[in-house]
Amino acid sequence: MTDATTTTRTLTTARPVARPGNRLLQRAEPYLYVLPAAIFVVAFLLYPMVLTVIRSFTHDDGITAPQFAGLQNFTDLFADPHFLVSLNNTFIWTIAAVVLPVTLGLIFAITLNGVRWSGFFKSIIYLPATISAAAVGILFSFIFGYDNGALNSLLNVFGIHNVRWLFEAPINSYSMIGAYTWQSTGLNMMLFLVGLQGLPQEPLEAAKLDGCTPFGLVWRIIIPMLMPYVVIATLLAVVNGFKVFDQIWVMTQGGPGRSSETLAVTMYREGFIMFNQGYSAAIAVIIALAALIFSYFYLRSVLDQEKQI
Amino acid sequence: MTTVAVSAADYRQPGLVRRNMGFVVAAILAIFWIAPIAILAMNALKSPNDFLMTSNLTPPSTFNLLVNLQHAWAKGLSGGFINSLIYGLVGSAGAVALASLAAFGIVRLKIPRGLFWFLLIYSGTIWPFQMYLIPLFNAYLQTGIYDTKLGMIAFYIAICIPFCTFVMRGFFLTVPWEIQEAAYVDGAGSWTVFWNIMFPMARAPMILLLLIQFTWIWNDLLFGLVLSKSASVRPVMVALVGMQGVYGAQDGPSVIAATLICSAPTLILFLFLQRYFVRGLTLGVGGGR
Repeated sequence: MTDATTTTRTLTTARPVARPGNRLLQRAEPYLYVLPAAIFVVAFLLYPMVLTVIRSFTHDDGITAPQFAGLQNFTDLFADPHFLVSLNNTFIWTIAAVVLPVTLGLIFAITLNGVRWSGFFKSIIYLPATISAAAVGILFSFIFGYDNGALNSLLNVFGIHNVRWLFEAPINSYSMIGAYTWQSTGLNMMLFLVGLQGLPQEPLEAAKLDGCTPFGLVWRIIIPMLMPYVVIATLLAVVNGFKVFDQIWVMTQGGPGRSSETLAVTMYREGFIMFNQGYSAAIAVIIALAALIFSYFYLRSVLDQEKQI
Repeated sequence: MTTVAVSAADYRQPGLVRRNMGFVVAAILAIFWIAPIAILAMNALKSPNDFLMTSNLTPPSTFNLLVNLQHAWAKGLSGGFINSLIYGLVGSAGAVALASLAAFGIVRLKIPRGLFWFLLIYSGTIWPFQMYLIPLFNAYLQTGIYDTKLGMIAFYIAICIPFCTFVMRGFFLTVPWEIQEAAYVDGAGSWTVFWNIMFPMARAPMILLLLIQFTWIWNDLLFGLVLSKSASVRPVMVALVGMQGVYGAQDGPSVIAATLICSAPTLILFLFLQRYFVRGLTLGVGGGR
């Protein structure tokens, strides 16, 4: 009797949650909840990912059996002019996709914050972010149209002759970056608005009392205080800019003559149009490595930010 | 000079001019930003001929919107639209359900090595999509689920699970433990705790996730291109892009009308449920991926 009571008591102290039912079943229970999701992720995401890494070390045309090729795919890539063009475009895209939407997002957030009807204006700026990149691509294919496109028609008014926005490199990349900026500025603006609302009011009031100019207020006080948000927005923009596919595929398919491809488009073309699966997998691995590095810094700054809040 | 003119008093009580200046600048920005959509919406009214002959800035001389919408629907959108509705609804609901169960198991049932299980599931968001494409395509061909609705739904569930698990884990960490212990004292099993106690409490994050994931699935192009080909299976964005490829040159207004139709669901969702989207941003991960 005494023994049994002690055991119960020890058990209760060790496990404050005294649960009814079979112990073995209880131990198996959490797995019943976790495994379905884990199986989906492993089967559809992680296992394919491992296969891609393995495939990147093989010659594989998707028809005959793959053959081990070591680092051949990777060395070939850096001798492939198409890949180098694509790498260069990706570099341009990433820089532009960071600088433009983040800067504009910050400017818009500061401009719109506290203005009359700001909710309405915010919705309008954010609106492009709610539609798909493919839809944005189609809409801007018309805007950038050569003969009747809205942009050329507008330029004609000022006496400027039609520009071939989408059919010449490198201007086609810049045009597409413009469309991308139109879509992604809203997201950055919203992020900064969240940041602005969380700013402590005292330093702002103090600066105003000291006669700080509006520009000085923004430049010396608001932006430095928003820095954590700028870092998060920047890293998120790098990761996203690196992976742009839909819009380019819709607007130029990477053309003309593969001149506007980025790594994501090159990977798709090599894998699914030219069926160089091993080569394509090697590009995927390069994209993953780059994205992983930036994702790491992104996640770290998000987690730091959450700790502060 | 101007810096002298702007005195401290102006900031304590912003003057009429200053306040209206902000308003005017904001209004100009908004008009500038909405212009591309507005101009194209105007062109959706034109007849194909009118569209080809005049500049996109010219107001329509014909009213052909209804015919254009009809063409857009009949020339391929109809199937894709319904398919994506199914994918979006079933995919997001399936992912939220499985992710909630997993997060419950990890946080509330304290599965051994919980961090490992969480990271295993969450790592699905870290990799760029290009890492999945080729093996998925091959495996789908081999197992016969290539170009099937089932295959599409299964994949959409899988790709949405990691982010949902991340958010639901965050939610379950905030629920007080007393509630769960009280339920156990009353003899409730883990399923009762999940279904009768946690599920009703988790309504807000779940709705948020359903919105974000529905929008993501609806807007997906890449996986639709890779995992489907026939009109009866392909999602709406693939149908739209296919339509642009075929009719973009001769029937511009129909393609624009189709683009507007495809954008309507997510746009309407956003307009009605804005505050949920904004709350989603504060989770620290914009866009939901």
